[in-house]
Amino acid sequence: MANRNWVGFFTVLKREIGRFLSLYKQTILPSIITAALFLFIFGYALGSRIETIKGFPYLHYILPGLSMMAVINNAYSNTASSLFQAKQLKFLEDILIAPISATQASLAYILGGATRGFINGSIILLMGTWLFDIQMHSILLSLSLIAVVSIAFSSIGLIFGIRADNFDQVMVLVTFLITPLVYVGGVFYSIDMLPKMVRGLSMFNPLYYMVNGLRYGTLGTFDTSPVGSIFMALALTAISFGISVYLFWKGWKIKD
Amino acid sequence: MTDTNETPAIQIRGLKKWYGEFQALRGVDIRIEEGEFYGLLGPNGAGKSTTIHVLTGLANFSEGQVEVFGHNVVSDFRYTRSRIGLAAQEFNFDRFFTIERLLIFQGGYFGLPKQRATERAEELLKQFGLWEKRNQDSRKLSGGQKRRLQIAKALVHQPPVLILDEPTAGVDVELRHMLWDYLRELNDRGVTILLTTHYIEEAEQLCERVSVINRGEIIADGSPEELTDQMGGGCIELQLDEPIETLPETLNGFDASLEDNFIRIRVEQPNKAVQEVMNSLNDADLGVYEMRIRESSLEDVFVRLTGRTMAEEATDGQP
Repeated sequence: MANRNWVGFFTVLKREIGRFLSLYKQTILPSIITAALFLFIFGYALGSRIETIKGFPYLHYILPGLSMMAVINNAYSNTASSLFQAKQLKFLEDILIAPISATQASLAYILGGATRGFINGSIILLMGTWLFDIQMHSILLSLSLIAVVSIAFSSIGLIFGIRADNFDQVMVLVTFLITPLVYVGGVFYSIDMLPKMVRGLSMFNPLYYMVNGLRYGTLGTFDTSPVGSIFMALALTAISFGISVYLFWKGWKIKD
Repeated sequence: MTDTNETPAIQIRGLKKWYGEFQALRGVDIRIEEGEFYGLLGPNGAGKSTTIHVLTGLANFSEGQVEVFGHNVVSDFRYTRSRIGLAAQEFNFDRFFTIERLLIFQGGYFGLPKQRATERAEELLKQFGLWEKRNQDSRKLSGGQKRRLQIAKALVHQPPVLILDEPTAGVDVELRHMLWDYLRELNDRGVTILLTTHYIEEAEQLCERVSVINRGEIIADGSPEELTDQMGGGCIELQLDEPIETLPETLNGFDASLEDNFIRIRVEQPNKAVQEVMNSLNDADLGVYEMRIRESSLEDVFVRLTGRTMAEEATDGQP
């Protein structure tokens, strides 16, 4: 069959996007409400006591981090839980028996989750910049970075969705790794405000680079080189995407 | 390669599969001609599902050659998978969508453009009496409706080979007969069918050829008639006037079993053996209240080969 069955690929992608859009109360609204609450609490209530960080009002400074937090959580959760449910309820078999390659199937799952991450992150960033009248440094760079990070964490979600034997295992990474790393990744502060040793530790946090990169794209300011951040985002995407496609192809935990 | 009459629909040679130390398939050979109605029987854990999973891409395998219409299921998976429809025993419906939508998606996975998939979904939902339920989620369907949906799902892309794993498990007699008629009709239209079943009547009624698989090996292969002639052996069942404690010595030459006042004797040709059995009981002074003769059946072949009855398998096999 010379036909690569792109219809099959787009059907899986459409199914993935259709699933989270039909569940928008669980998949889109919560992160927007959370970001709004953070902006209100930290930005207005507490932020009024902080004058500026690197010359930007605190509210402006935390916006890119909140957007990136939504990107990471949503991209990961979508693919991890969707794949896990399909595996547990066995309707993943519908895709495994279809003439769709492992690369196509995993790519469709990843892009589906990445779309959710992108929508969430973009809405928060664009609404925030509009509401607070922020002149975006580079909208193209910001949205590109959101897209790349969405793909990276959606791929990581695929790996953990494949690996998980129960729903706790799907969420354990979010609770114990992603959320803490995002919080200490400079969402609410500049690492320049930290003691030297802690600052050094932050450099080992990959999520710090994502936040730093988006802050550069949005405000034009940065703690460390934006080029390094973009490189880190691309490297994380390449590695996680490669691993997830390989696992799908091997059929680890999804085939007999 | 093209789908010619000479090329079998399914050809499996020397198929081996290990799960760690455990060898699930020990060199399975199966050849199913195009248009054949073929049954795969065997105890639970014998390798039926693993074989089906290898054919459909749900399982990797360690050794052997597996082809569908002459195309390798690994190197040419797009070709082979597009020609197979699988109705798994366990219901596996995408519960985020209505049953019409999930059939349309299923068509899409197999490369049908949206309009064609929508038409096929409508045809199948009407054909299987599910059209009224099209906007419902699969969880709201009854067991019989789910079974019909499971088969409809396998047929969306009109595959020339249909694989059914226990297609009538848990359905009532009326639906079972309706499904049999439908499967016969599909087979008459040229669809090659491979089914696994625990219902002996199903295999006898539908299959032109059956194989018995046990411990990962095919141990018998032929038409139901051939197998029963070669290996079946019938049975004489006797209900005695009075219960007895042990079998009389006069029946020592027979393969007989006793339960209260009920004796079951397995024989090659029941009608020829009746007189001899009656004489033996007379010699032992035992009166017979009722006698039944059961001709050889596929059930006997199964019991003889695997040491288990199909009914035991059906009970054990419930998910």
